[in-house]
Amino acid sequence: MNIALPIAIPWVAGILLALMDGRRRRPGRFAIVALVATMAAASNLAWEVYQNGPVEMVTGGWAPGVGITLRADMLGLTFALLSLGVLLAALTFEVLSGVRTSSFPALVLFLATGLTGVFMTADAFNFYVFFEITMIAAYVLTSYGEDGRQLRSATIFAVVNLLGSAFFLVGIASLYHVTGRLDMVGIARRVDIFEPEAVMLAGLLIFIAFSVKLGIFPFHFWLPAVYTGTRPAVAAILSGAVANIGSYGLLRFFGQILPEQLKLGAPIFLVLGLASIIYGSVQAISRRSVNEVLAYSSIGQVGFILIALAIGGEQGFAAAVLFAIVNSVNKTLLFLSENLRGWLSGFVFAVGALSVAGVPPVGGFLGKAGLFKIAVAEEDWVIVSLIIVGSALSFVYMFQAYQRRYWAPDPEGSEPHAPSPSSVRALVCAIAVLTIFIGVWPEPALWISEQAAMTFGALP
Amino acid sequence: MTMMFALAIAVLFAAGCYLLLKPDFVKILGGIILISNAAILFIMAAGLSRGREAIYPIEPGQRVSDPLVQSMALTAIVISFGVSALMIGMIYRVYMAHRSIDVELISDIEEREVQIEEEERLDQSIDAMPDREETVADPAAEREPQAVAT
Repeated sequence: MNIALPIAIPWVAGILLALMDGRRRRPGRFAIVALVATMAAASNLAWEVYQNGPVEMVTGGWAPGVGITLRADMLGLTFALLSLGVLLAALTFEVLSGVRTSSFPALVLFLATGLTGVFMTADAFNFYVFFEITMIAAYVLTSYGEDGRQLRSATIFAVVNLLGSAFFLVGIASLYHVTGRLDMVGIARRVDIFEPEAVMLAGLLIFIAFSVKLGIFPFHFWLPAVYTGTRPAVAAILSGAVANIGSYGLLRFFGQILPEQLKLGAPIFLVLGLASIIYGSVQAISRRSVNEVLAYSSIGQVGFILIALAIGGEQGFAAAVLFAIVNSVNKTLLFLSENLRGWLSGFVFAVGALSVAGVPPVGGFLGKAGLFKIAVAEEDWVIVSLIIVGSALSFVYMFQAYQRRYWAPDPEGSEPHAPSPSSVRALVCAIAVLTIFIGVWPEPALWISEQAAMTFGALP
Repeated sequence: MTMMFALAIAVLFAAGCYLLLKPDFVKILGGIILISNAAILFIMAAGLSRGREAIYPIEPGQRVSDPLVQSMALTAIVISFGVSALMIGMIYRVYMAHRSIDVELISDIEEREVQIEEEERLDQSIDAMPDREETVADPAAEREPQAVAT
């Protein structure tokens, strides 16, 4: 029962909120409380999983192996808690600065339902269903603001991601064709029997689907238009929470289900990862608006996750999880602080910029250092040097953005911007402090990522 | 049979891709619908087996068709239906905002809007600069015509 709660709470709350006018104060507060309750349920579950190992439940009272299984393990729960945290931050930000459409809080909760479902299902097809629930909420959220521009970027987002979903569906169907199973553990066990090439095509399709979600180099074309077109809170949700599906999906499908294919495909992961880093950084340097710099920087940052996956092994996966955590926090902080005005807003943006650049003692340093460590251990000097170049480039573009935003004088005659409400600034400052905290006291984040990566070793 | 499935999926997918590349939101939607149907057909091709329906009680020795494939296809149909409905709604909103569903035209309009915004910003800063000079230059400019008049 415990395991269903993190999915059920936001779902029920979302339905209730859909009937209310989200622009008012009370529904907004209710949505925040519901998300906090979801996080509490997920944390409670994580504590249980930590003590007694993964929790499983077969839905609908079917026999195990017949019904759809929900399975909570450390990897899934880490990503669930991370994404819920990002959603909570974005929702609180929007509620404090004034919600614009009545459906916003309900949509965020439906998104939370889909995300926790994706991270806690043990069934490949059910993964697709939750994935679609998340994406439908995300399509509508992207059009939030209801400007012509936002509507168009939402339509682009929907079209590209629907294509990705179709690829994913075909990938799942071909896995089913080869193995005759849909539960992840079963597929993993049967895939071992065949030559790795037998499911290479399925693996490729699934890789494309998640790459589209993450915005990795050749599949990135939708990303800048969407991230620059939407409002800051939605951009934070998309890059901090929805993109987690991509990194989690790659970890789950290639770490657990198709490990042999990951080994075969490692050069592809590596090349695409490096291409993403270089392409994203160079594009980000050449852009003028902060929005666009952040969008291209996301393309660059996800490249690091691919590299960690390509190196593989428990340490590689731990580095990937750690980087995904740090990257989510960074992106949430930067997108939320981008339009912030008034006292401390420059400080907050600088913390985010330092974190993306990977300067100690801010959190981003931790992610880059973890990756650096495993690359050095592998003695792969090409990767090591490219990580350094990538970090240096990210330092350049983040500070170009910072300079333009905070050091350039406002054009004369333009209205002086009113400072943002102090509650909003306090919220974003709290995220900034959290980012510094991750860097100064890295043990918790390291421990979490190691626990999450150990999931793969402990599988039946 | 496999060949027929393969051909049907290929034709659907190709037609979908062709429509997807058109600069018209309604045609793009048509392309998406065709592609998701190709994916659904792929599910059927991946595991559909002959036999009677899998409803209890089943007599021993009878062949039963795989119910999982059917339920997957049904779920995918429902999802693609829902998504198509949502997309129609979104395209309608785009039409209401721009009075057009031509992708190129809309991006032209948007570029122009951004340009106008930038020009306005430039104008403002240019307007603001001479303002100061004028405060210095104004007395002289006012005096001169007087001098001519006298």
